[in-house]
Amino acid sequence: MLEARAFEPEFLRKLDRLVLGIKRARTVRAGNRTLGRVQGLGIEPENFKAYAPGDDLRFLDWNAFARFDELMLRTYRADRQVEVTALVDASASMGLPERDDKLGLALAIGASLAYVGMADNDAVRIGAFSMRAGTMKLETTPFHRRRESYLDFKPFVTSVKAGGETRIAAAVDQLLTQRRPAGTVILISDFLVNESELEDALKRLAAARHEVKVVHVMGENESTAAYPAGLLRVRDAETGEVRETVMGPATAAALRRKVEKIATRIREICTTRAIAYVRAFGAGNLESIMERELPLLGIVR
Amino acid sequence: MGLLNPQNFIYGLSLALLVLIYLRARSRPAIEVSSLMLFDEVPAPVASVRHLRIDPLFWLEMAALAALTLAIAGLYVMRPRLPGHGRIHALVFDLGAGMSARDGSGTRLDQARREAMDIINQAPPGDEFSVIAYALDADARHPPTANPANLRGALGRLAPMDVPARTAALRAALIRARGASEIDLFADRPPPAAILAGAASAARVNFHLVGSGDSNLAIVSLDPGIPGSTRGHAVIRNFSARPYPCELAIDLGGRGEFHRTLMLAPREQVVVPFGPIRSAGVLHARILTPDAIGADNDRYAYAPSDRAAHALVLSPDAAVRDDIARVLLAVNANFQIETADPASYLADASASGRGAKPLDLVVMHDCYVPVARAASTLLIYPPRPAKNIPSAAAIGISVNGTLASADISGDAAGKAPGIESLALGATRIVAIPEWMDLIAAAAGPAHSPIPIAAIGRGPGGPVGVLAFDVRDHLLLAPDHLDALVLAIDLIKQLTAPRDILIVPTGADVSIPATGSARVTQPDASARTVAADKSGRVRIRPLQAGRYTVESGGETTNVFANYYDAAESDLGAKSQGEANAPAEKAAAASKAQSAMEVQPLGFILIALALLALTIESAMLIGRAGRWGMRHV
Repeated sequence: MLEARAFEPEFLRKLDRLVLGIKRARTVRAGNRTLGRVQGLGIEPENFKAYAPGDDLRFLDWNAFARFDELMLRTYRADRQVEVTALVDASASMGLPERDDKLGLALAIGASLAYVGMADNDAVRIGAFSMRAGTMKLETTPFHRRRESYLDFKPFVTSVKAGGETRIAAAVDQLLTQRRPAGTVILISDFLVNESELEDALKRLAAARHEVKVVHVMGENESTAAYPAGLLRVRDAETGEVRETVMGPATAAALRRKVEKIATRIREICTTRAIAYVRAFGAGNLESIMERELPLLGIVR
Repeated sequence: MGLLNPQNFIYGLSLALLVLIYLRARSRPAIEVSSLMLFDEVPAPVASVRHLRIDPLFWLEMAALAALTLAIAGLYVMRPRLPGHGRIHALVFDLGAGMSARDGSGTRLDQARREAMDIINQAPPGDEFSVIAYALDADARHPPTANPANLRGALGRLAPMDVPARTAALRAALIRARGASEIDLFADRPPPAAILAGAASAARVNFHLVGSGDSNLAIVSLDPGIPGSTRGHAVIRNFSARPYPCELAIDLGGRGEFHRTLMLAPREQVVVPFGPIRSAGVLHARILTPDAIGADNDRYAYAPSDRAAHALVLSPDAAVRDDIARVLLAVNANFQIETADPASYLADASASGRGAKPLDLVVMHDCYVPVARAASTLLIYPPRPAKNIPSAAAIGISVNGTLASADISGDAAGKAPGIESLALGATRIVAIPEWMDLIAAAAGPAHSPIPIAAIGRGPGGPVGVLAFDVRDHLLLAPDHLDALVLAIDLIKQLTAPRDILIVPTGADVSIPATGSARVTQPDASARTVAADKSGRVRIRPLQAGRYTVESGGETTNVFANYYDAAESDLGAKSQGEANAPAEKAAAASKAQSAMEVQPLGFILIALALLALTIESAMLIGRAGRWGMRHV
């Protein structure tokens, strides 16, 4: 399956070329990727500045004063970490069509983002959610910061199976009950849910001061409506509802229009809320998605 | 209304098959999708759920299949008989030896003729009659005609044959009578009810039992014994249910050997010893007492000569040489037999001068040595061809391989009289020339028959072939007596006079001839028969008695014997159990005499064709609407 690809050395080498660009704090304007670093009490020297009254004399660089006879103040990078959560939709809809391997694509993207995030020692975790038997099942890995522990994600990633219903709002509710510091939540799903539910989930994440990024996953056959022609009985994988339809050129066109409509609507919702949105359509496009789409997300560059 | 062939109603399963195909085709493939949300803007299908779709094509196919099934099952209705209007009757006559039995003033066949003429005379104008006869085979003697004169002539030309009437021939005759609306069967004994029932499914069958008496005597067998030494035996059987006198006379070459009147108990079989006869020749036994069937009152047998004959037995196996010598002595105690190993025979022959002595018979086992002075030759297990070694191919017999075992059974055994089944060991696959007659065959590779025993008269004299190996004392093994019988039969035929043949009636006889031959039958009628390309005249004696075949200045006498225990037993039909099925079938058939069967097959087939035509038209119409250029 595709999720195993995210742990192949060759693929990881390609990811190494990407650099983490996650914003460090919400004090920086959204979309300005790496320039928002704030001065703080870190240990990593960042710059010098002239002394101004009121500055903390503990940061005076006495060596510079001795050499240049000027009071210079050493500044340090703020010692803050961002918690990144890649939240993958593991509902039944992600398992269909089987040949599209949507769930594999979503997990591979999540794992790849986690790998990139760990490059800067950020705390990263991967989660999967679905509503099963009326109960929200949200499972997450522990936070990992160092790349040496990247392979610890593999058992979790390869064990996720599609099933249950998509309940993004309920998953977000459960995530927020963990009361973690505000960080970055990357939501990866096919978003085949009501608009109101998606808006509700995004609203709650934003209210919790999380920076939200949305990865919209669709299968290649699903997005191109590559179904067998003729009279078909189609069954919703999550609700079990059955409908008869005549599959033909007109129906396929209608399906493609619907997919585009859904994607456009989700993009509009995200744009309204200043949320980065990218499309990841087609499992065969994993590498191009990583190289071209994710920079748009502001995560890598 | 009913079904002529109800067992064919099983074809109705095709309807169930059609329903299954229809349901299978109607079931739509179901696929699971991630969300029906994607299908929100897809137009709804014509019908969301269709449990039952009234498809005219389906119903048309159902109608066509149902009509064809009923046609095959033979759906019919009963309707009142209509006079005339092309009704065809088939008059089927048994011409077996039993029909020649005299029960009074005439024969049973005469009685059948009279009854047939009564039927013809009483038939409405326009009814046609065909005449079919059977004994060994079925033969249509006259096609359907309404001309009474022609029918009278055809009936007058019917003559009983001195052969038993075979059940297979009756079945074939009834098959030939198909197409007739009524079949009148004339026979002197009830046929198997199953055959009548089968024929009654297609037409009404009236069975006419002719004959009443049972006073018949028959000579079952005649053993001449050995002239001058061993007594002969004649077996006489009384088929009557009462004591019957039997005046028996046995002649040899026109000279009386035995003449006595016996009194036989009801259905008694006696063995009458006579002789020993004084010399070799054709022995003729006759029952002089008048009885029903004359054909089984005469029987011929050939008493072999007791003169010393010379025989040479060649075999690489000493035990086989010994066995064959014993068999030869059993056939003729006066045989002077010399045995030798073929490898050393030729060398010794030139050195000792034995090559000059004429031989009556040479028997070669697993070897072939050209012996020009042999009157007749018997090849047993002929050798496979090899370099520098003479092979039987020189006389037209080629060996194409060897079977590890062979089995004479089924149809192959039918060619060998008296043999029902015979398991053999190693057997050569031989190809016999055209001038040889096959006596027994076995199933060879790919179930093709291979000759096991054959005999014929070739350019160098009579030649016989036994294809199986006789090692390990096969000829003397009690479990393989049929192999011994085959060997003795061949030896007897090879050493018999060339101008005398004694055969059962109905057997195929081939006689060497040049150009053509004049055949004189026992009733003194003569005909000319052309020889085939292998120089043989083939005749099939259907009368008991003496046939004379004259060709190229040579005369061959063929004596045909008739005896069949079932056919000669005229009293068999009086047994109630035997009569019951046929009478029941006949009664059932007569019960329908007021009505007649009107098969609806043609109507049903026409309906099926109509339904299929309508379906085709609908398909073409639909194809046109859909813009398709083909259906």
